[in-house]
Amino acid sequence: MEFLLSGQLLVAALIIGSIYGLVALGLNLIYGTMRLLNIAHGDLVMIGAYTGYWLFTLAAISPVLAMLAAGALAGLTGAALYFGLFRRQLTGSQPIERIEANSLLIFFGISIIIQNLTALAFTASPRTYQALDTLVRIGEVSIAQSRLVALAVCLGLSAAIVLFLRFSALGLSIRALIQHRTASRIVGIDVDRVQAFPFVLGLAGTLIGVTEQISPFMGFPFTIVAFVVIILGGLGNLAGGIAAGMVLGLIETYGVALTSANLRSVLIYGVFILVLILRPEGLLQRRRLT
Amino acid sequence: MKKFVGVLAASALAAAAWAAPAQAAEVRIGYSIAKTGLFAPAAPSQINAYNLWAEQVNARGGLDLGGKERRKVKLIQYDDQSNPGNAVKIYEKLITQDKVDLLLSPWGTPHHFAIASVLERHKFPMIGSTASSVQLRNMKPGNIWFTTAAVADKLATAMVGLLQTAGVKSVAVLTNQLPFGQENKKFLMPALKAAGIEVLVDADYPPNIKDMTAILVKVKAAKPDGVIGLAYPGDSILYINKAREIGIAAKFQYLLVGPAIGFFRGMFKGAADGIVTLGHWSPHGDNARSKAFYAAYKKKFKQEPDYLDSVEAWVSVEILEQAVAKAGLDKDKLRQAISTGTFDTIIGKVRFDGVQNAVTPTGFLQIQKGELHVVWPKDRQTAPLAPKTGWK
Repeated sequence: MEFLLSGQLLVAALIIGSIYGLVALGLNLIYGTMRLLNIAHGDLVMIGAYTGYWLFTLAAISPVLAMLAAGALAGLTGAALYFGLFRRQLTGSQPIERIEANSLLIFFGISIIIQNLTALAFTASPRTYQALDTLVRIGEVSIAQSRLVALAVCLGLSAAIVLFLRFSALGLSIRALIQHRTASRIVGIDVDRVQAFPFVLGLAGTLIGVTEQISPFMGFPFTIVAFVVIILGGLGNLAGGIAAGMVLGLIETYGVALTSANLRSVLIYGVFILVLILRPEGLLQRRRLT
Repeated sequence: MKKFVGVLAASALAAAAWAAPAQAAEVRIGYSIAKTGLFAPAAPSQINAYNLWAEQVNARGGLDLGGKERRKVKLIQYDDQSNPGNAVKIYEKLITQDKVDLLLSPWGTPHHFAIASVLERHKFPMIGSTASSVQLRNMKPGNIWFTTAAVADKLATAMVGLLQTAGVKSVAVLTNQLPFGQENKKFLMPALKAAGIEVLVDADYPPNIKDMTAILVKVKAAKPDGVIGLAYPGDSILYINKAREIGIAAKFQYLLVGPAIGFFRGMFKGAADGIVTLGHWSPHGDNARSKAFYAAYKKKFKQEPDYLDSVEAWVSVEILEQAVAKAGLDKDKLRQAISTGTFDTIIGKVRFDGVQNAVTPTGFLQIQKGELHVVWPKDRQTAPLAPKTGWK
């Protein structure tokens, strides 16, 4: 059992946790501000992974630069979806429940379309590439550069977004929107500007694509994980979501180490179901008094 | 003038129509393969071998049909998307609707296993390639054969021999849950026990595993002399990346399927040096067919053949060509010719005992300075086994 004390395992858990945290942050913002249930969330991650792959393979562009392009592409895709499909719905007088239900169905369709267009364009074959593979030693732990970059970027970006939401005027207005949609609309908060947030997904996608296999269908597991993380952290609780991402990374890594790699999905879904039963308001959410 | 042109055109058409039957129809040869999906990285090795063979046969004037005539060949290929269920439907379609004359094999054991019943139902003989299965062997089917020497029970015995030569006293066994990995494990574990080789880590994992850190951290802590990865190409790549990162220092490290594919050595450069894998062919021997195949493949595809899959696929078409030259396209005669004949191939003489290659000994390859060498069995060695020293 002493392998559980390995720094290597802890670092792996932190890396995967920070990726989960960032991916879930994107979903939390979109759901929180607009009540859109974005099932195509993970597919934007996949787009980011392919962007990184092609830029590296065709033009030898480092993933560190490619992730900016991937971020822009995912941001644009997110914005195009919003302005093309959802803006009219959101500005109408439909009740939130209907927006949620409609968005779930629409995004489901979009997800299938994105996955299959990607499969048509690039085939469904998994791809990998070797970039940033120099090993970095920190104490007894050695990590590939790519994973170290993923850890730094995910943590840094998550922290920056949380700080931005806490201290900037726009950030505060976004939080107001999450907390009380109707009231925030009355005081005139501009929802359109939140649309660029999917850029974090493209960025995360490039980082994920360097460390694992890329395929058109790689996104869906991240969508699931993002929902689990949001449930764990509490809907709309951004800092809570990042912490929950870390918790899930730890549960997954140590759970697999203690049991078997075959039980990974069981662990993730198991946590999901347990939390829904025992604490539906989220592990890290304060219970509401009202 | 118009009328004249019309008459000319009509007579040209008539001449063409009259001439057409003189050109004998092609021999249509069908197969399905994992062009997309989980196994897609492995399939080009096999597709290339088939295409090269078809090209060479046509350049020779066509396939010799029982010594009576020669007809050009045409390959009909479908993508089974790495799904054995699709392969079943495709082979059914190839036989009943496309009415192909001959069949080539798909990629991988799950697909061979799945289509065996289709072949039996239609009594359609097909020479397998990139597959082997003790389970299927025990069912004694009559229309499928395995060219490979890598059958799980023989492999287990050979592996123990190799481990003892390497002085390995303890191992970690990591197993992909696909059938070939599982069957290998089933025979390997008792063989290890009988030889007194201790299994310090025994971990199974799903085919689509994304992170091996948890497994390899255990392996590192256990400090085995050897790591036996019963892996497929995707997880072989994952293993190299992670084992290098974590610093697995075992002197013997084996990955079942993957390292023999050309891109593998290119991808990892020095890091893959010392990795042992499944295979019993190398171009370094003195087989003339083998050298010709190696040169032609390298010339056409600008890369080395896959020492396992391209080779097995090539052996399967060599045998098919020789059997058809003897028996023609009649299915019963062809089945008889394959079951009883002895064939010249790039892995030497091959003869079948039931479904199994009865001649070629089970072997292993090792990557040494970027080249693959046969390190087992000893009498076929092109280089002695060397311990894995670090990850460069």
